[in-house]
Amino acid sequence: MDFLRGHLSLSVAIGAVFGALSRFYITEFAEAIFGRDLGFYGSFFINVSGCFLITYILTIAFENIRSISPELRVMTTTGFCGAYTTFSTYGLESKGFLDKGDITMLLIYWAGSAIVGMIGVQMGVFLARSSVQRT
Amino acid sequence: MLQNVTLLNVLAIAIGAIPGALSRYHLTEWTKAKYGTKFPYGTFVINLTGCLAIGFFFTISKTITGYPKELDLLIRTGFLGSYTTFSTYGFDTLTLWRSKQKLATVFYWAGSATLGLVAVILGAAIANFVVK
Repeated sequence: MDFLRGHLSLSVAIGAVFGALSRFYITEFAEAIFGRDLGFYGSFFINVSGCFLITYILTIAFENIRSISPELRVMTTTGFCGAYTTFSTYGLESKGFLDKGDITMLLIYWAGSAIVGMIGVQMGVFLARSSVQRT
Repeated sequence: MLQNVTLLNVLAIAIGAIPGALSRYHLTEWTKAKYGTKFPYGTFVINLTGCLAIGFFFTISKTITGYPKELDLLIRTGFLGSYTTFSTYGFDTLTLWRSKQKLATVFYWAGSATLGLVAVILGAAIANFVVK
């Protein structure tokens, strides 16, 4: 990926297009399988898996488990993971439960995303440290 | 299942996602340079403003009849989805925790979630006020 060397913004932009489209397709897929009102299953999966992925990559990069170029790092983390996961839809879907008066689902989704997201983060650290042999 | 997704839909998301991610990237770098890395001010402000904006635009899209689907995909799925981030929120929480700032960690972690929800409600209220 020599042509990207020094082009951090371009790297972020490329990652972002793939991240946003992955999020869109997974959400559409979740709505097709679980129904129009259950698209939040998709957002939940996306946010938790994105938390896992960003921590996995950044742990590998920052703890020098493997050397990753800054361009590839920002493309996959700031670009892909950043655009793949979304905080705004998380807030909007939480408000949706609030409007419906569904306090149980509000608490499960709203607090659950924050808590399970952190479990995803811990999994990322754990797998990054254990799966690859330090060099 | 995905037959109703057109090329224009995909383009709208991509065109929104690029400025969304770039504004997040540059805002984060700018706040890091200006205010340091002790607290993730950038991501915090980005997620809250993004929540405010999505509350606003979602309400607008539901209130105005004939609001184009492509515009909704461009602003909401593309730009705002890409501008805000849950993954960095999770990673920032871990970084704060490791820097032994327990109070700041709890504030950032629970505060983002709580104020994010408040921001969506506020954005929706502003939209209702503007449209009426």
